[in-house]
Amino acid sequence: MNNKKATRGIASLLLALASIVYVSPLFIILFNSFKSRTYINLKPFSLPNSETWVGLENYIAGIDDYGFLDSVGWTLMITVGSVLAILLFCSMFAWFITRAKAWYSRLLFMLCIFSMVVPFQMVMFTLSKTADTLRLNTPWGIIIIYLGFGAGLAVFLFCGFVKSIPLEIEEAATIDGCGPISTFFRIVLPIMQPAYITVGILQTMWIWNDFLLPYLVLDQRHYKTISMVIQMMRGSFGRVDMGAIMACLVMAVIPMIVFYLAAQKHIIEGVAAGAVKG
Amino acid sequence: MASISVRHVYKTYPGDVTAVKDCNLEIADKEFLILVGPSGCGKSTTLRMIAGLEEISEGEIYIGDRLINNVPAKDRDIAMVFQNYALYPHMTVYKNMGFALEMRKTPMDEIDRRVREAAKILDIEHLLDRKPKALSGGQRQRVALGRAMVRNPAVFLLDEPLSNLDAKLRASMRTELTKLHKKLGTTFVYVTHDQVEAMTMGDRIVVMHNGVVQQVDTPQKLYDAPCNVFVAGFIGSPQMNFLDAVLNKDGKGWYVEMNGDRLYIPEAKATEGLNAYVGRGIKLGVRPEDIYDDEAFASANPDWTLDVSIDVSEPMGSEVFLYLHYGESTLTARVSPRTTSKAGDRLSVAIDMSRVHLFDAESEDAILN
Repeated sequence: MNNKKATRGIASLLLALASIVYVSPLFIILFNSFKSRTYINLKPFSLPNSETWVGLENYIAGIDDYGFLDSVGWTLMITVGSVLAILLFCSMFAWFITRAKAWYSRLLFMLCIFSMVVPFQMVMFTLSKTADTLRLNTPWGIIIIYLGFGAGLAVFLFCGFVKSIPLEIEEAATIDGCGPISTFFRIVLPIMQPAYITVGILQTMWIWNDFLLPYLVLDQRHYKTISMVIQMMRGSFGRVDMGAIMACLVMAVIPMIVFYLAAQKHIIEGVAAGAVKG
Repeated sequence: MASISVRHVYKTYPGDVTAVKDCNLEIADKEFLILVGPSGCGKSTTLRMIAGLEEISEGEIYIGDRLINNVPAKDRDIAMVFQNYALYPHMTVYKNMGFALEMRKTPMDEIDRRVREAAKILDIEHLLDRKPKALSGGQRQRVALGRAMVRNPAVFLLDEPLSNLDAKLRASMRTELTKLHKKLGTTFVYVTHDQVEAMTMGDRIVVMHNGVVQQVDTPQKLYDAPCNVFVAGFIGSPQMNFLDAVLNKDGKGWYVEMNGDRLYIPEAKATEGLNAYVGRGIKLGVRPEDIYDDEAFASANPDWTLDVSIDVSEPMGSEVFLYLHYGESTLTARVSPRTTSKAGDRLSVAIDMSRVHLFDAESEDAILN
């Protein structure tokens, strides 16, 4: 009994330490964002004190001098648009290829899986050239590109979930008077809620934080995402505004943390519970 | 008018797998018809073709006078209850039951009236606001029935609806379904692999095997006069005993002979058709309740006795099953609970030859019932 308690105590201690190591960068960024630029470089790990404290100065600089709010708007628009497109089109696609027992269903599924294997670096230059040619270098155009890159993982996850939905539920809907479209939107889509949340969280975090794709594709004279703005704060000639960078990083990460905390409890919830025998 | 006519229907899957072969059924209006058979016999496929969930490879299906081969499932005026209930998990019981009417743009007050009426009949009024996950198996089963009922369909199709319930609940739901059929006065087509359900609920039973309809008849006629060895073995529990024998005739009349024993067939039972089988191998079919271990019956019918030994005795309370060793075969006898026979005994049992069945050894078709 005592041995068991001791083992649990040691495990808790180790996990607590791991958690501290894991979240410490966030806290370092947070308290550095309230310190003056000089002290961020000199004493990056010390807490703010009366000497180093600058209040919201770094936040105001980030917003006023670097157009941070505009970038938040563009990032939000790209993220929401891309995630909605991925959720809608990929779930419909996954439902179709799982249910339609056609010869090409397996082929399409394998193509989606294959797209996950291809490294982004392999296609990025041709992609940016193609995006320019096809005028996809706008926040609206990049949504299509994100749809393509996000489809692999999304289709893979959705297909797995669709397979777990009993076919009889859809057959019951057919007898009740649903066509394919109404079966999808009125029956399948609500049942797939946990899969939507899982895919939604993964894709949102990826697209919100992504730097390389918008950097390569977007017309930077008009559109910048948060990652691009923060990168540009490094400026030319080696000038780095660490205060503004810290403040913007905090502002960039807060929406993701809130979103994740709000959505994560739904991932494990099984909405399909009770549909069939059990 | 909700009769169903299935005419020369085939179902062939890719790879030339034929699930249903030349199925012909005439189901009368308001009839309770049971499709029964072992797994993979084509009973569910036949039901699904009637429902419109499977395409018909060949043949025609009529509901009333209407050919429904190309009519979508939603327009066939049928309702189906699935084996696993197939309730919509994100909807309440009320929404589940009213969904089909909602899809047909029925006015809300009419939906409400019909849902509450069905809920009252099924005694699930207190569950209307719950979601399926908050229901027990039996309650889900009632909701699935209610969902079918609110539509007032011409035909109810039920695909093994009781197989997920425990034995006690299954027995009570059997009775309730029978009552419901009488109350609704609608045609029911019911698929099951459980012969107790088949025997107790149906007006008529269709026995299927390997995609072929073997026999369509009332439960008692199926039991008393099976058309072949498969039906004879499938209907009845414990199943019919089969013995390889030779049919012959002497001065005393027709007899079957096996292991040197002769069992004489009563003159009244013998038919002209037996002449074609003189000296030929046949299968003798004997129901367990037609084997008697009491001496009075054996001494009254000395031409019907066999010497056996008892392998196992299973007292069931209301009856005793004796597993008898005879030659190379094992026979099951259903005898009185007051029997004194016990495992290890050697005794003479008598077979009621007025109730035996004879089958052709090759085609396995019935020769004499």
